[in-house]
Amino acid sequence: MKKLRRNIRALTFFLCGLFVLLAAYGAYSLSTSGGRWFASSANTYARARRQGVIAGDILDKNGVVLATTRDGERVYAGDEAVRRAVAHAVGMPSGNVSNGVETFMASYLYGFNMSFLERLSCAVKGEPRQGDAVQLTLDSAISRYAASRFPAGKAGAVVVMNYKTGEVLALQSFPNFDPMNITAQVRNDPQTPFLNRATQSLKAPGSTFKIVTAAAALENFPDAETRAYQCTGQLQVGDRVITDAGTDLAAGQITRHGQLTLRRAFQVSCNNTFAQIALNLTDPTLRRTAENMGFNDNFLFRDLVVENSSYPTQNRTDREIAWTGAGQSALTATPMHMCLIASAVANDGVMMEPALLQRATAQNGKTRYVFSPRVYRRAMKAETAATLKEYMRSVVTSGTGTQAAVAGANVCGKTGSAEIDTQENTNAWFVGFLDEADAPYALAIVVEDAGGGGSVAAPIARDIFNWLLENDR
Amino acid sequence: MKNRKKRRPGSAAALISAVMLFFFLAFLLLAIKEMSLQCFMMALVVPGIIFVGSAGIPKLFPADRLLLSLTNFLCALGVLVLYRLSPERGLAQAVNYGVGVVCMILCTLLVRYLSDWKLPAALMLLGSVLLLALPLLMRAEERNGARNWVYIGSYSFQPSEIVKLALLLCIAYLLSNRKVIVSIAFAGVCLLCLMLQKDLGTALLYYAVTLVMLYAATGSHLLIGAGLAGGAGAAVMGYQMFAHVKKRVAIWLNPWADVEGDGYQLVQGLIAMVNGGAWGVGLGLGNASVIPYYYNDFIFAVVVHEFGWIFGLIVLAMYAFIVIRGVMIARRARTAFHALLAVGCAALIALQTFVIIGGNIKLIPLTGVTLPFISYGGTSLVSSLCIIGLLQGVASRNEADVSEDRELAMQGGDLK
Repeated sequence: MKKLRRNIRALTFFLCGLFVLLAAYGAYSLSTSGGRWFASSANTYARARRQGVIAGDILDKNGVVLATTRDGERVYAGDEAVRRAVAHAVGMPSGNVSNGVETFMASYLYGFNMSFLERLSCAVKGEPRQGDAVQLTLDSAISRYAASRFPAGKAGAVVVMNYKTGEVLALQSFPNFDPMNITAQVRNDPQTPFLNRATQSLKAPGSTFKIVTAAAALENFPDAETRAYQCTGQLQVGDRVITDAGTDLAAGQITRHGQLTLRRAFQVSCNNTFAQIALNLTDPTLRRTAENMGFNDNFLFRDLVVENSSYPTQNRTDREIAWTGAGQSALTATPMHMCLIASAVANDGVMMEPALLQRATAQNGKTRYVFSPRVYRRAMKAETAATLKEYMRSVVTSGTGTQAAVAGANVCGKTGSAEIDTQENTNAWFVGFLDEADAPYALAIVVEDAGGGGSVAAPIARDIFNWLLENDR
Repeated sequence: MKNRKKRRPGSAAALISAVMLFFFLAFLLLAIKEMSLQCFMMALVVPGIIFVGSAGIPKLFPADRLLLSLTNFLCALGVLVLYRLSPERGLAQAVNYGVGVVCMILCTLLVRYLSDWKLPAALMLLGSVLLLALPLLMRAEERNGARNWVYIGSYSFQPSEIVKLALLLCIAYLLSNRKVIVSIAFAGVCLLCLMLQKDLGTALLYYAVTLVMLYAATGSHLLIGAGLAGGAGAAVMGYQMFAHVKKRVAIWLNPWADVEGDGYQLVQGLIAMVNGGAWGVGLGLGNASVIPYYYNDFIFAVVVHEFGWIFGLIVLAMYAFIVIRGVMIARRARTAFHALLAVGCAALIALQTFVIIGGNIKLIPLTGVTLPFISYGGTSLVSSLCIIGLLQGVASRNEADVSEDRELAMQGGDLK
């Protein structure tokens, strides 16, 4: 009996542990994901409760009205170009665009955060309830300008953010649409205008991923900066050959870089060298660096829903690993995430959490939320970030990204031409930042199916940087 | 000798009155809102059953008042939320509740007065295997991927809920007589039947309870290790064999992949809980009936939706108290049989609560077991109350033993 009682006492802890686990997991998931569940388009309860509430206004960082309610109708910014430029970030109450501000921040806009007393006072006075006004970090002027620089008819995305604070200034997807004029053509467009490519579309990051590979080399090889690599233009890995941009084996045309250092390989974006580095690093080491920068993480940002980037973990052949080093293979990331990686390099290795909500103000003037910067994670060592910053600077001064250069400003960046399916079709990427204390802006640009990052995306980056330096300094 | 302080009867009376008042007012609120006479009747009937269940029973024989009050609260809560969303189900549940209280008293009396369990255990052993095989033999049609109901005319019941009681009694009896192999074999046969019925949630429960009782009886890490390994093997096999298990796991991993289809139930459950917030949307004001099977699988989500997560935590704490109380009864028991029986009852309630609430909050894949006391379902509610009856039986035996000791001590006798 004594032993039996002892065993039963041990079981008490186990059985009580079950309840503790339930309570702890419930509290954890409600606090981390509750907002997302609430904002889901499947939430019929919240949709029903919106009736009888006047939705709050949506403003940009300078107070420009992006959305307001007039006579019970939701109307958007007066300028069509602005409406289009912020369409994906703002979204629509109908939920056409998933996780736009209109749906994701419904708890403010529709006054779900009102206290009991506030509700009561509305009821007593017989006034309709009004939701909170929401001020975003978005800048409608830069958004409008960026949209005007994007090649017409192309699909893609532009993200501009402040890398010191994480405030997102522009979050755009192309083709965009006018929320005041949704036509059947827009609905049926094969280019899916409602998809927010900046946060929802996972693509191979291409050569922009070499920032991650280079960081892994710098953090793991003591002689990373002096080691010499040999690029013969054709690297035999298993039964396949890794080549560089411009190579056409059938025509006997091969791009060769000869002997180069990591810095030079980064400048000219040599696939061959980065494939060798990936193989030398071994897959787990490269993966660890990538995961430090947010790959394979579950992004739970307060204001934004961003698809999770993935560093592949299965079917890792040498060929796959080699191509991963150059940003291809099954690797995927969103433009938003690549912008965060550039931001981390610019911000001494600290990745800030991207933010979209500046302030929420109740009808009675009470402030319900004020933004304060939050660190998302330390992505790399400060020394690594400093070296990478220098590398990214040299890409713009004398590498593949010279078209992004702005006279008199320290522009840093990395180009990418990510293969989609064949060599001819590539997504043009540019990620970069201004290394200027009074203009701490980073950006990521993708133009789908448009050619080389250096020739297509870099000029857009130059124009945006130029605009930022002139107007937002 | 332990000199236990006698609990003041006043505090128990206050607790029971508070519980009765709560449900009286809750039903009154619904009655005024719906202007329904039937609901007004419920406001009188439900507190009545609570009174009989928690204040009447201790007058018949010594019983654990806290355990009774908590159980009655949860049962009445089930009737309330069910009535609020679907009056027919609420009414049926109130009847089940009344029947359950009577069965609970019978179970208590059985454990209190029956001393020789040899013949009953043998009968139950045979009976439970027959009962479990019944749905298979009767070629009952599948319901939600499982074939675990028996239909007799217009009446239907789930044998696995009744066999639950037999399982607890038989295994406690066998283990207290050191028949480890026989008890494992018996549990194995039951599990096999349940697997064939594809009632995997209940199979999981039977398995876990058996393991807990085995540990209590033997304390053998080897045995538990082997049991866990076997369970893991069976889980992998079940995953490979049953398409609906694969689907459940996929939904668990990412219910948002198909919000309108496969993931609909879980997603709506999660959304209902978050809509409730801290204080709930209010009794009678929610829309939790959008969740498929809200009345059994997702009743916890309904409670959190209408009463808020703070209340949800309190409900969890009530289950935890019931379990702790059960374990305390087990530790005071004088014979191995009664100790094992009590610990089995406590474990069954704990595990069943964990499995279904864990499924609701996406901690584990959802399996179709009921939430004890609250979920809609006659067999389930009656069997849950019977389990409390068994626990009460052990408790009242303990009380009788203690008072016997006291008398002996008064007479100058010595205690071993």
